[in-house]
Parts: sequence; structure tokens; C-alpha cells
Amino acid sequence: MTSIAAISSPARRRKLVGAGRRQWIGLLYVAPAVALVVVFFIIPLCMTAWMSLHNWPLMGAHSFIGLDNYWAILRDTRFWNALKFTGYYTVVVTIAIFVVAFPLALFIERPRPLTGFYRTSFFMPAVIGFASASLLWSWLLNVDSGLFSPAAFELGLTEKKVNLLATFQPAFWSIIAMVVWKVAGFTMIILMTGLQSIPPDLQEAAMIDGAGPLARFRAITLPLMRRTLALALILSVAGSVLAFDQFYIILRGGPRNQTLTAVYWIFNQSFVSFKLGYGAALSMVLLVILVALSLIQLRLLRQPEGVD
Amino acid sequence: MKTTITGLAFAASIFSTLATIGPAAAAETANIWVRADGSNFMPRIVDAFNKGHENQIKLDIIPNAEIIPKYGAAAAGGTAPDALSLDLIYTPSFAAAGQLEDITDWAKSLPYFDSLSPAHVKTGTYKDRIYGLPFSADSSVLIWNKKLFKQAGLDPEKGPTNWAEIEAYAEKVNALGGDIKGFYFSGNCGGCNIFTFTPLIWASGGDILTEDGSKATLDSPQLRGAIDLYRSMVKKDLVPAGAQTDTGSNFFAAFAAGNIGISPSGAFAIGALNTQYPDIDYGVTFLPGKDGGWSSFAGGDNFVVTKGTTKIAVVKEFLDFAYSLEGQTILAKYGSLPVRGDIANEALKDLDPRYKIAAEAMAKGRTPYSVVFNDLINSANGPWNQMINEVFFGEDVNGAIANAQETMQSIIDSAPQQ
Repeated sequence: MTSIAAISSPARRRKLVGAGRRQWIGLLYVAPAVALVVVFFIIPLCMTAWMSLHNWPLMGAHSFIGLDNYWAILRDTRFWNALKFTGYYTVVVTIAIFVVAFPLALFIERPRPLTGFYRTSFFMPAVIGFASASLLWSWLLNVDSGLFSPAAFELGLTEKKVNLLATFQPAFWSIIAMVVWKVAGFTMIILMTGLQSIPPDLQEAAMIDGAGPLARFRAITLPLMRRTLALALILSVAGSVLAFDQFYIILRGGPRNQTLTAVYWIFNQSFVSFKLGYGAALSMVLLVILVALSLIQLRLLRQPEGVD
Repeated sequence: MKTTITGLAFAASIFSTLATIGPAAAAETANIWVRADGSNFMPRIVDAFNKGHENQIKLDIIPNAEIIPKYGAAAAGGTAPDALSLDLIYTPSFAAAGQLEDITDWAKSLPYFDSLSPAHVKTGTYKDRIYGLPFSADSSVLIWNKKLFKQAGLDPEKGPTNWAEIEAYAEKVNALGGDIKGFYFSGNCGGCNIFTFTPLIWASGGDILTEDGSKATLDSPQLRGAIDLYRSMVKKDLVPAGAQTDTGSNFFAAFAAGNIGISPSGAFAIGALNTQYPDIDYGVTFLPGKDGGWSSFAGGDNFVVTKGTTKIAVVKEFLDFAYSLEGQTILAKYGSLPVRGDIANEALKDLDPRYKIAAEAMAKGRTPYSVVFNDLINSANGPWNQMINEVFFGEDVNGAIANAQETMQSIIDSAPQQ
């Protein structure tokens, strides 16, 4: 026993040293990334958590109040309403994005004439920032000087110019249209990479077995794209839960405060009511919700990939 | 006067340069911020000051929406500017936060203190101490398009003097048809409407807040009357459809395009129309009450000093310059009304005569006082903005007023008491 240990230990140690050094070098390689994450994520996160325990006005002295901010959140009906609206928006917009992006991905996946052109033009809106896209649509949606209402009026589709942003339904669906226009191209590219990673011989084999296009889509394409779908879904849900720019710039939370999202409410509390500590507490709550949502989605979509 | 300032300058410079033993005259530079609204006149007056003085001012222009959070962050980090030209309605909340230097003694020592714009001094005062002095001024007025008035067969030189006339004239102009509309207001902008809509209420004897800002008083016949006026004009289609969702971006631009008969606006519009839209022939009059009389929102910026600054002497020297006839004339020429009543006429004498109306409106103008003004009024999601949008365009006027009254009162009641 001892002799074996004596014999094997130097070798093992050398091996360990080698592995240790490799690990050390590996750490060195990721150090810049780690530093970025620590400086721009971990530290601000800890500061936010710290601030959330204070009565922290934008100006003037702050004081420690323990969990009072969190108790206040429980009674903050406007925050829960904002969260409810955010949830509704997230569900609607995620479905809308996939409904548009999936056909687009199927369409551009195989090489055909002008594929490059289609890919580029579908993807183009994704490279614009959300704020700039919102400003653009803010103009397009303007009833007096924009595009949609005056065009519909000139074409005789409506009796008079309709102010799309004045009531909830048209305003909400305008935003959905804008977000789909902006984001579907990106989701399409993600889905396309998933589609392309499916070995063509599987499809061919199924075809020889006599499976129709719908059956092949259900039995081969969808199951094999599980991971890609998970990625696209998480990106879409996380992005939608954090929605702010489009509602702030185009609607200002209107009509009549019916489109206030959770982040919008946090912004209002922090920079309109000057309650930074409370805003920080709201942010922590939203963070927990978002992490939970992502974990649930990962779990649901983590199941074996069938053929691997 | 002069000696106090030199004495203070001496004390301040000794305090700030303990190491260097030297004369008090050592030139210093103070940093001042202004919101983008002042980007026309502020650089001019700072340049004029810097040319004639040894001490210098370094000016930073900050976007309107960012100046409050940016100042808050800078103050927390110890890098706040020495002084700030601050939207006057924020002075009470800044003072309440303990962010500002008490300048009562200095203010009261000014020989012309009593003729400084009363609205500014009122909002600059918190618990009987003065924290802000008037710097720039803007009053709300009613403007009308003379060309359209003429086309509609109205006297182009006579603006409306009561609510019935506003509606009748707007209707006549509207009858010209095409793209021409009778009246314009930004229907989804709390800040715009406190500026131009509440004067209609004030001129009729009502108010939306009590004098000290402790009670919301929305449910009044005067408010309902003014609402009826706007609702009636909306119903008769005298107002462009875009007004319902205008968050303020079209507040000035709509009238400047030349298709609007009458629009409530501000003194700033005189300078802006003259320089950017010289083709528009317009008149300026007061915002009238239901049966005559008039009122105005006295707005603009207060000059406030950051608590604990070491450059207070420079800052005071600069403000003294701004209050001189030369300073007041520069301000007036580039878009701000004079804030010194005693020399206002002299400062305005070579300028567009329409400024005189705005200056008179300023002198008798009013400003609501509240430490939670942002929450109540200016916030796009606050009770005031929600109410005006509902009562002008929605169905349930009574419900909207009651709801706003309750929300505003609860915001006032839950404000931090200090």
C-alpha cells in the first residue's frame, strides 16, 4: 500500500503540477473576461443589493432601513401591475417573434437564388439600437406627420386619420409590430444555425420512409433544434422582461399609463421620484424573477436531444 | 455691497488656498451647469462675463431630462458643479434634500431684491430661508397666427380675450379647411399643460394646489370649465389628432408650421419664431380667464449654489453681472425675459415689442409650490398628466378628476417631511 503510494505519488504530483499550470494558464486567458464581469456586473450587483437596504434619495444623505424597501414592494400595486403587463407583453411578443422568425429561418436556410439578399434584409433591423428604432417608429406611427395613418387615410382605408397611439389596443400592437420587425431577424439567424446543424441524411432517410414535410418537421426538425430553441427563447424572454426603450420613447407608458413595464417603473421610482434605494430593491426583485424564469426554461428544454 | 463681496471673496480664497499665501484676487474658475433650454443665452452671458472679469466661469450644458439625475450623481460623488441654473420648480425639493447653500443674507443685501421676479423668489424659498435666486424667466402666453386670422375674416390684430372668443376664433380659422386647424395643445404632456392650461384656471379664480402645496384642489368649477373648453374644441375637431399623444415634442413645432390658428405657448416662442421662422406673422396676448382677466405661469430657472462649494465668491460675482443692465439685456436678447422688474423695460427697449406682453405676464405670473412637483406634475406617468389626457379626450371626466385628486393628495402626504 505504502510502496504503491510511494511509487505513484511523484508521477501523480508531476501530473498535477502540469495540470495545475495548465489551469493557471487557462485562468490567465479568461482573466480579462473575469475582470470585466467582476467590475461591470458583480460589483454593481453587490452595490445595488446594498443600496436596496437603504433609504437612498438621489440627493442628500442616505440611511439604513433594512428590508423596509422590500416590504414596501409587497404593497406597491403599481409595480405588480407593471409586472403583470410585462408578463403579458413577454408572452405575446415572444410568440409573435417565433411565428415570424421560424418561417423566415426555414425560407433562408437552404441555398436558393438571392438567399444572401434575403438574409441580409431580414437581419438588417437587428443591427439598429432599440432607442433609434423606437424613434424611427415613433415618427412612422405619428398621426399627423407619420406614415401609417396618413397612408391609410389617403388610400381610403380609413375615414379619417386614426391616432394609433391614442388607445391601448392599437398602441400595444404597434409596439409588438415594431419589436417583431426589429428582433425577428436576429432570432431567425439563431434558428437558422439550428436548422443547418441537422444532418441532411436524416431528412433524406425519413423522406425515403415516406414521411411528409409536416411529419419531418415534427419528428426531426423540432426535436433536433431543442437547444437552439432554448437559446432563442431565453434571449427573447429575457429581452422582453427588460423592455423599456420602446415604451418610454414611443408611448411614455401611455395611453394613460397602461403600458408601464417593470423596468419603466424602476426608472420612474429612481429618477422621477428620486428614490434610488427603492429602485434598487425593485431591480433585485426583477433580477430574481428573471433568473427563475431562465432556470425554468433551461430545465424544460434540457431533455436529451434524441440523436446525439 | 461691493465690500461684502470682496470680503467674502477674500475669505473664500483664503479658505480654498490655505497653502498659497497671496492676495484675494487670485483668479479662480467656478463650474456652472445649465439645462439645454438655456443653451442659447447662457453661453453668451458666460462669455461676456469671462471677458470682463479675472475670475472665470466654466459652463456645462446638460440635456433637460438628464440634469437632475446627473446632478444627483455628481453631488453624491463630490463632483457637483459650484452652481446650477435649475428649473425653478425643483428648487424646493433640492433645498429640502439639503443640497443647496443658504444664501438668504446675501440675497437680502441686494438693493434690488424686492424687484426680483416674485415667482422665482417664492420657489427659491424653503422654510423661510432663500436657496435660489431668479436667473432666467419664461412666462406662458397665448399666440395666434395673424395670416390665418385674416384669411378667416377675423381682425388679425386682436387676440382672444376670454374663453368664448378662443373657441369662436379657433372655429373660424378651422373652417378654412385642409391642413389648417383652429387650436393646438400637447395633450399628453404634464409640463406643457401646467404651463399653459392652469393659467386659464387661475385667471378664472381657481387653483389646483393650495398656496403651500399641502393640498390638491382639483375639484373646482374653474377646472371643470377649462376642461369643457378644451373638450368642446376637441369634439368639434378644431385640434389635430396628434395632440392626444403629443408628449411635448410638438409643443412649439405645431404652431411654427403655420397651420394652427391659436396655441398657448411661452415667451421662449417669441425668440424662437423670430429667429427660426421669420415668415410666421403672429400675435402675443395673455392667457385669459373664462370671462376675461388673465394669468400666466411664471417659469424659468433659479440660480442655486451647491452646499459647501469653495467658489461662492466667483458665483456671486457672476450673478451680480447677470443682474446688471448689461447682463439682463444679453439674457433678453437671446431668449430669456429679464428677472429684475426695476430695469426690465430698459433691458427690453430695443427688442421685439411682443416681449413686453410676456414680461408683464412674467411679473404677475404664478408658480405652484411643491417639493414633489416632478411626481405630481411633470412625470409623464404622474396623476396630473394622466388626468389631463383623460379629461380632454376620454369619457369619464368626473372619475379622472377624482382619481387624480386622490393620487396627488397621497403623493403629497407621503412625501418625506423634513
